[in-house]
Amino acid sequence: MKTMMMIAALALSAAGAQAAVPVAKIQAMLAKPKVMCGRFDQSKTLAGMKKPLAANGRFCVVQEKGVLWRTLQPFPNTLRLTKGEIVHYQGERVAMRLDAKTEPTVRMINQVLFSLLAGDLAQLEQLFRVDGTVGADSWNVTLEAREPALAKAIGTIKLDGGAYVNNIVISEASGDRTSIVFSKIEAGDKAMTADEAALFR
Amino acid sequence: MARGRTLALAWLVAVALLLGHNGYLWLVKRIVPDTDIMALLPVQERDPILQRSFAHMVDAAQQRVIVLVGAADWEDAKRAGDAYSAVLAKHPGLFDAASAGDGVQAEWLSLFQQHRLVLMTPAQQEQLQKEGAAFWTQQALAKLYAPFGGPKLGAWQDDPFGLFSGWVQDRAQETPVRPRDGHLFVADDEKQYVLLPLKLKVPALSMTAQGQVLPVLEEAVAAARQAAPQARVIQAGVVLHAANAGSQASREMHTIGAGSVAGIILLTWLVFRTLKPIALILTSIGVGVLGALSVCWLLFGQIHLMTLVFGASLVGVAQDYGIYFLCNRLSADASLDSRALLKKLLPGLALTLLAAVIGYMGLAFTPFPGLRQMAVFSALGLIFAWLTVICWFPQLIGPRSLKGGSLVHRYGAALAHWPLLRANAGTWIAVAVFGVAAAFGIAKLGANDDIRLLQNPPKHLVDDQIKLGKLLDAPTPVQFFLVRGDSAETVLQREEALKSRLDGLIAAGQLSGYQAVSNWVPSARTQQERRALVDLKLLGHEGPLAAVAQQAGEDAAWVKATADALRAAGTPLGIDAFMAAPASEPWRHLWLGKEHGEFASIVALRGLSMAAVPQVRPLADGLAGVQWVDKVAEISSVLGRYRVNMGFVVLAAYCVVFVLLLPRYRGRAWRVIAPTALASVATLAILGYAGQNLQLFHVLALMLLLGVGVDYGIFMQEESVKSAGRKDATPWLAVGLSAANTLLAFGLLGLSNTPALQAFGLTMLLGTLLVWLAVPCFGVSTNIKEKANADAIGIS
Repeated sequence: MKTMMMIAALALSAAGAQAAVPVAKIQAMLAKPKVMCGRFDQSKTLAGMKKPLAANGRFCVVQEKGVLWRTLQPFPNTLRLTKGEIVHYQGERVAMRLDAKTEPTVRMINQVLFSLLAGDLAQLEQLFRVDGTVGADSWNVTLEAREPALAKAIGTIKLDGGAYVNNIVISEASGDRTSIVFSKIEAGDKAMTADEAALFR
Repeated sequence: MARGRTLALAWLVAVALLLGHNGYLWLVKRIVPDTDIMALLPVQERDPILQRSFAHMVDAAQQRVIVLVGAADWEDAKRAGDAYSAVLAKHPGLFDAASAGDGVQAEWLSLFQQHRLVLMTPAQQEQLQKEGAAFWTQQALAKLYAPFGGPKLGAWQDDPFGLFSGWVQDRAQETPVRPRDGHLFVADDEKQYVLLPLKLKVPALSMTAQGQVLPVLEEAVAAARQAAPQARVIQAGVVLHAANAGSQASREMHTIGAGSVAGIILLTWLVFRTLKPIALILTSIGVGVLGALSVCWLLFGQIHLMTLVFGASLVGVAQDYGIYFLCNRLSADASLDSRALLKKLLPGLALTLLAAVIGYMGLAFTPFPGLRQMAVFSALGLIFAWLTVICWFPQLIGPRSLKGGSLVHRYGAALAHWPLLRANAGTWIAVAVFGVAAAFGIAKLGANDDIRLLQNPPKHLVDDQIKLGKLLDAPTPVQFFLVRGDSAETVLQREEALKSRLDGLIAAGQLSGYQAVSNWVPSARTQQERRALVDLKLLGHEGPLAAVAQQAGEDAAWVKATADALRAAGTPLGIDAFMAAPASEPWRHLWLGKEHGEFASIVALRGLSMAAVPQVRPLADGLAGVQWVDKVAEISSVLGRYRVNMGFVVLAAYCVVFVLLLPRYRGRAWRVIAPTALASVATLAILGYAGQNLQLFHVLALMLLLGVGVDYGIFMQEESVKSAGRKDATPWLAVGLSAANTLLAFGLLGLSNTPALQAFGLTMLLGTLLVWLAVPCFGVSTNIKEKANADAIGIS
């Protein structure tokens, strides 16, 4: 989260930057539904630890609303990002709440995360140098923060996909590395379960 | 005759010197009046550390100009902000623009990262004490599995329980400003703003500097609006207020000075029907002002703009001597030459000068350097004007050079219709009625000693200031806690004790936060407590860290290595290391360091409303070395004390003047002083009925009124010293002419936008008018042949 905050905070505008990759083509390939949900499998390799740590759960991306990230295994915990706040639940308990009123960067973090999950490269281009290749029905890109201090802190982000984002790999400068695989993506109003929808009310 | 000429020539030499000195000051040295409003405030012998704490806060604030350029759309705001900055960049000699600093964040974190084990919020410390191992295990695991690296700075193993990142987040809450796209960003519900913190390289209180800075700022605002037409620009800074106060005062000075001079010219023309007296009176006033300026400059080494404003109103008093002489010349027998006439008038003239100077010197009893200067300036101005009348007028105005106009006839005749007070039943009834009415009016008088009455900034400046305060949630520089102790450690510990009390008020919504050095550098004692707590609760043999290792499949060696790395980041963070690091730059003004054998610091409050002050102030009670500092209240209370003291000074001055009058007027001395005394009482009563609040400046005006009113009393009684009764309307004419001019001068001061000057002007206006009306009633009663007199004046 804090990393995201720094992404949002230290980003530099990219006036007139030339994209090394035809972002428009990737944009055209993406489905961009109003609502999409799916499964994620996350594997973290942490500095100083021998074994990677695996987790999985469900995620939802709702246009105009925000993002829901529900880890189910090994422990249930939920992250909900909406316009006004970021809330982190451990089980039923609110472990952390960031209010956009007191933490101005909340809005920006939400935007970045939403763009990442929705693959909105046009948005991301403002903050990152985008480099990569585009095939007939697939693409992959590497994001490097434009801001050197920030690049040092978060390292690089790799994305690949087709109509949806399939994989995200974040390699942090600290040596921690996170890779996320998305699957079983459904789009449309029926994609969300009732309790997921309830979290957005 | 020869003596008169010698005297006149000697004075001519003196005036030539004055002119030369003034020319040197204004044209060669190019002096500028001082416009610092603070220079008018009392300098007190007091606690040097307290003094310094205030200077620390004010110095930090004084040279700053904070600018916000906002628009609904961030891109628009950035464009407008850049346009604004571009204009300033053309003037590198005036402004230092702080950049939004690349990598500032990474840099300031590095110092704290080395000591991260002891950096946590008080709330987290409390959690460490209360919560069990299960809670912390869960915290660490949640972070371990959180997506996107979770809320952390650096690797997970550097801050497994999220204590340090919680502290960093808490510090980030100290300001709503965030870096964004290489700009500083702050927003409210409507607009997003680019923040441009500027530092002036030229002194904010210098008028020359203001003259350079303000046009550039205006140009920058125009550029921002051109870049984004709907952009809103909010600017705040001492320089804006100072420039405004300065230009307002000089505008008023010109108006009042010009208005009263114009009034004098008109009235003199109507009375004497020739231009010569006008030239004479203006000469006497001119010499008075130039002389006062020269001597004041030699005495004080500077001159305050307010002195000049006040000095401008002095014109109304300095003319009295010339007018008195001229009116007497007008009505005197042509056979009497001017030297002889002056001899006849000298006792009265000397007394009027003495009374006025005593009146003005009363102002010098105040602790305000500005007022003292005004008093000296005024007294000097009067002395120079008086000397000009004495030395030059007899030489320049001979018999038969003046004729009265028809106004003089009509006005002189009016004297006959004035009631004369005699010791009869009617008089006593009038006195009783007046006494009751005055008592009621005065009883209605409130008092208001608010310092803010000294200045009246325009609404847009105040609005911008308020808006900016809301957006930036910045602490006020004039109300804070001062904390002292015999060592830096004691100060930090006392800050922490105070902060735990303040936390209660924050929870209650009375405050939004506080700024203190101990937010960044906890006391050594607190750091030690935290180290022990972390060791006991988190890093222990069967503790949360071990539990996390089990879940992640790590062994005891891993636990030991991780715990050791964390302990290594628990070395004490000292105040000196913090002060030397770039991270402390925004907070250095809060640390006063060692001074007079004591360490001291400031705890500044954010979001403090006036309403919350009564709850905040007592928090210092019972905390050793902690005191509440409220500059506003302090100065206001000083103003209040001096309002009361000046009241006594006024009464004392009445006694002194009365004693002064006794040798010459004996049993009639009370008649000289009574009109002024009554007018003062009546003025206070009128102010009371009008619902005004009494402030120091009303009382100062009463002091001045004594000087002016006694003049009139003396003019009227002088006549009766020589011959009983209202045989001659000459003094009445002199009083009328003087009073009309004084009313003009002070009436215009009553139009001032500065509440303090307005109070002063209004009091003088009412008082002078009432003295003028009351003065004839205190004549000595005899039969009157006013008609014959009026004719004598008109047709001589």
